[in-house]
Amino acid sequence: MLELRDVRRTFHPSTPNEVRALQGVSIDLQPGSFLIIIGTNGSGKSTLLNAVAGTFFVDSGTIRLAGHDITRWPEHRRAALIGRVFQNPFSGTAPNMTIAENLALAARRGQPRGFGPALDRRVRQEFRDRIRTLNMGLEDRLDNAIGSLSGGQRQALTLLMATWRKPDLLLLDEHTAALDPKSADQVIRLTDELIRRDRLTTLMVTHSMQQAVNLGDRIVMMHRGQILHDLQGPDRSRARPEDLLSRFEQVRRREQMDANVAALLQRSYV
Amino acid sequence: MTLLLGALTIGLLLAMLAFGVYLSFRIFNFPDITAEGSFTLGASVCAVLLLAGCEPLLATGAGFLAGFVAGALTGLLHTRFSINGLLSGILVMTALYSVNLHVMGKSNVPLMSVRTLLTDMEQLAGFLAQGAPTVQLGPWEVSTRDLAALGGGFALVCIVGFALHWFFRTNLGTAMRATGDNAQMIRALGVNTDRVLILGLALSNGLIALSGALLAQYQGFADVQMGIGMVVWGLASVIIGEALVGTATLGFLITGAVMGSVLFRLLVAVALRWGLDPNDLKIVTALFVFLALVGPRWMRKLRAPRASAAEGAR
Repeated sequence: MLELRDVRRTFHPSTPNEVRALQGVSIDLQPGSFLIIIGTNGSGKSTLLNAVAGTFFVDSGTIRLAGHDITRWPEHRRAALIGRVFQNPFSGTAPNMTIAENLALAARRGQPRGFGPALDRRVRQEFRDRIRTLNMGLEDRLDNAIGSLSGGQRQALTLLMATWRKPDLLLLDEHTAALDPKSADQVIRLTDELIRRDRLTTLMVTHSMQQAVNLGDRIVMMHRGQILHDLQGPDRSRARPEDLLSRFEQVRRREQMDANVAALLQRSYV
Repeated sequence: MTLLLGALTIGLLLAMLAFGVYLSFRIFNFPDITAEGSFTLGASVCAVLLLAGCEPLLATGAGFLAGFVAGALTGLLHTRFSINGLLSGILVMTALYSVNLHVMGKSNVPLMSVRTLLTDMEQLAGFLAQGAPTVQLGPWEVSTRDLAALGGGFALVCIVGFALHWFFRTNLGTAMRATGDNAQMIRALGVNTDRVLILGLALSNGLIALSGALLAQYQGFADVQMGIGMVVWGLASVIIGEALVGTATLGFLITGAVMGSVLFRLLVAVALRWGLDPNDLKIVTALFVFLALVGPRWMRKLRAPRASAAEGAR
């Protein structure tokens, strides 16, 4: 379904700010599988998601999705295949437009947009029925501006919007990180429900080890723009939050060791 | 009375300008200065075609199209060549100055004794009033010709206003509003935001050029200078409109732009009547917009320290 081959990307090359964000990442994702990406800060996990979404083009490597080579596709073209939820609840919705208008925009994801009316009675009824299932009381506020909603409500709506037309791939970029624990819980439950119901192929970045072991069927751990561990099958089922944390601890120790070893060598040889 | 009707008519014709400025400044948050050139462009293209004996409605439409192309050019400069938005507008505006001179062949084209939308309207009104030079309108005796121009302007504003109201609620129009509201989001929903911006600026400048074409026919000449200060003028109308009726719905916004434009023109007419030097008109307009932009912030600041002091006392 999704196939990344040796994807590389360096930001600000040959300047003091050079960041090698992705250093040869390859992933194969089967249809219907739910991959969770964890990693240290700056490990490139969000960059990987953005590379798939087309926020920028990769320097080398190929990205294939649903039988298309999308490596050189611009972002808006990839959107026909991909549904996205961002970390920032403000990013996924148009704040000055109404709930109904936002849903209408999402209902035509990747479709040509012409001079047909965006909203009519039938569509509004469909929207109302669908957001009633969120149990947030939003069904009576279809004509309120999205800006008046809480972060949790916005993320729930964005999730609904991203999956309104079944996407070939769903990208979730730490979509509960900016929410209070209760809303985060609610959004995670909704996420799980939607993904199960439509058997969505999903790529989710999170910093919560709890989410990583509770959701999904595969865990990838990234570090310095590379994949460090790829837990699938039995390894994945045995994984506990503590195991993941200890792997992080290993990475951290090795990192420190690098510095210590360098200091040691410096004292002896330089 | 003639003065009042004249101000109302010009206000209505300049409402198209307010629509255009609203589209670029408010919907896209794009400071589009192209307007100063496209306003004149609409007027000059229309005037030259009228002189050549073209059907007035067609000539006016051609004015709209010319502005449409100019706006698209600004959008293209901004998106394809990543030139700063303000600078893209300045470039096109500057180039348009030469274009306008070439179109007209001189700096001023009078439209005396030429068939225009205005003369057509006057003819229609004369027919309806059975040739009477004045009509009794309640307590007032009003010139049929003034009334014709006002009626024509009102009809046009209604047509364009309703067309915009319809357009902004289509799938494309909704996507256009979303592009200004949250470009990242609408790109993630598959909209080519560059293309939408180009289309939006084209539409905006088309409306502004339409306004110029109509004003030229009303005042009886097109002048290469007539676009100067039009962006600020349009902004003033938009700001007044928003203060008058608010921004709750699209209908309010569009009606507000019309009301703002008419009211602002009336204010200007009154000020001129009271002895404002016409040369000072632009600086007064600029000051007005400055105050409208900064005023609310000052008011908040004036109120804020008192509010916090009151909380501290508690």
